[in-house]
Amino acid sequence: MTCAVETKGLIKIFRNRWTGKEVRAVDGISLNVEHGSTFGLLGPNGAGKTTFVKLLLSCAHPTAGRAMIFGRDSRESEARRPAGYLPENHRFPTYMTGHGMLDFYGALSGMDAAALRKRIPELLAMVGLAEWGAVRLGKYSKGMLQRVGLAQALMHAPSLLVLDEPTDGVDPIGRRQIRDILQSLEQQGVTIFLNSHLLAEVELFCRDVAIIHRGKVALEGRVKDLTAGSGYRVEAESVPERLQKELRTKAKSVAERNGHIEFLFGSRDEANQALDLLRAGGCAIETMARTSSTLEDVFVKTVNEQ
Amino acid sequence: MNSKTGIVTWALVRDTFREAFARKIFWGFFGCSTALILFFIFIMKIDVVEGAVATVSLFGNTTRGHDVQRLVRQAHAGIAAFLYTAGMFLAVFASAGLIPTVFEPGRIELLLSKPVERYHILLGRYLGNVLVIAANVFYLVLAVWIIFGVKTAVWTPGFLWSSAIIVFVFSVLLTVVLLIAVVWESAVVAMMVAFAIMFMSPILAQQSLLERLLTSEWSRNTIRVLYYALPKIFDLGRLARALVLGDPVIDWMPVWSSALFGLVTLSGSLYAFGRRDY
Repeated sequence: MTCAVETKGLIKIFRNRWTGKEVRAVDGISLNVEHGSTFGLLGPNGAGKTTFVKLLLSCAHPTAGRAMIFGRDSRESEARRPAGYLPENHRFPTYMTGHGMLDFYGALSGMDAAALRKRIPELLAMVGLAEWGAVRLGKYSKGMLQRVGLAQALMHAPSLLVLDEPTDGVDPIGRRQIRDILQSLEQQGVTIFLNSHLLAEVELFCRDVAIIHRGKVALEGRVKDLTAGSGYRVEAESVPERLQKELRTKAKSVAERNGHIEFLFGSRDEANQALDLLRAGGCAIETMARTSSTLEDVFVKTVNEQ
Repeated sequence: MNSKTGIVTWALVRDTFREAFARKIFWGFFGCSTALILFFIFIMKIDVVEGAVATVSLFGNTTRGHDVQRLVRQAHAGIAAFLYTAGMFLAVFASAGLIPTVFEPGRIELLLSKPVERYHILLGRYLGNVLVIAANVFYLVLAVWIIFGVKTAVWTPGFLWSSAIIVFVFSVLLTVVLLIAVVWESAVVAMMVAFAIMFMSPILAQQSLLERLLTSEWSRNTIRVLYYALPKIFDLGRLARALVLGDPVIDWMPVWSSALFGLVTLSGSLYAFGRRDY
């Protein structure tokens, strides 16, 4: 099956014209994003995420390698037809109204007047801006600009949606609204490629992620697999020092909090053995729970290890 | 041209007009043109005696009927010269800002992500810009031509040709603005270079005189190369005047050599735009 996004050894080197100094913004990234999946691209500032997206959409030319959209080289203009894009720090012309902006970008995607007339009111209503279509973009708040920007990306009903920080500046209600729209698009089979700093959001929404660091893929996989670095947390009170020592040798980590001791065990058996010992020692058990690492834990660990 | 190409071109042209409206560029030109038209409607007085033009009073000068055609042609030439100089400066000044705005970060990425070839984006914007100026030039020239025609019954087509020359020269200068906007993204530099070409043109037009005055062969060659390479704004102005006055045009070289300059500069812009990273 053709991937929605496929890159092969993508490299982008920026050279300073005067000093000759090179920066490898993207350093041999090969990624596959399956058709119909929700994919999150993560990385610290300056990791090369935005450059990667620009290479993907042919805003910049790769030094080496290829970027493909549904099997076609993205440098061909027709390859970009199935893609909708909302850039980070976009600057929509403020002289345009919301309606005019959608009309313009829709036309650039090849939509004719009849299709535009039908689609624009639908999308303005979808992003909650039905009453704002005739208002100039200069009067829109940042959150409204993000929402109308999302409508712009959806104008020609793309099969691939590339969103760079889509909820930047959007209030929690707007964020929820955007997430709902994205979820309904996902159900319709649209591939969503999300570039975001908001790890919680990516964790909540994306099925697959890749973490890039210093222009390279540092980690990639299914969110549920990456966050399955699970353990068992046992929290107890009044643990005698002798028992503490014994359990410390078995636990992966130990933390003290408000007079409680929290042990993290790698397996269920270890946690059960610890529970037996604690009960036998007359300790009060506060909680026992299975834990999983958050995407943030995975992200921090991955970046720090590099 | 297939329908999608047409839709995209029309969208790009319309966007340039929208921006020109929003920045008051179009309305500024339109207002000036209208003021000039009203000026001619009200200051030009004509005496008609038994169905024939007897005298015409224009700018305070009164002339007899048999001189009317000559007077109208001279008035046309004066207006064309005004448009050719002051109008051209204003047009370049106003348009220089319209081109680099497209390359602003956050705006250009969105345009480039669309299924449109880069050359199409640039040519669409260029065409839009030329049409903004052309609409105003044609409006003014046509209206003035009609006013003079109705009042004097003199309908010489030469004045209409001058509008074509004005738009042509503007479109050549705009290729310079385009190239600089693509390479440096600076409206100021673009204007400076376009104005420099305009200022140098009357000097270079004296090429044969300069060659006689210069002693070194290197200097003479430099003047010759500059004269033939750069657009011949001054010579084209003389050509427009000849057309307006109904004089024969001896040499069309300024037209084709300037067109060639425009084509080369435009191709350079398209090449540079095609290779740039945003």
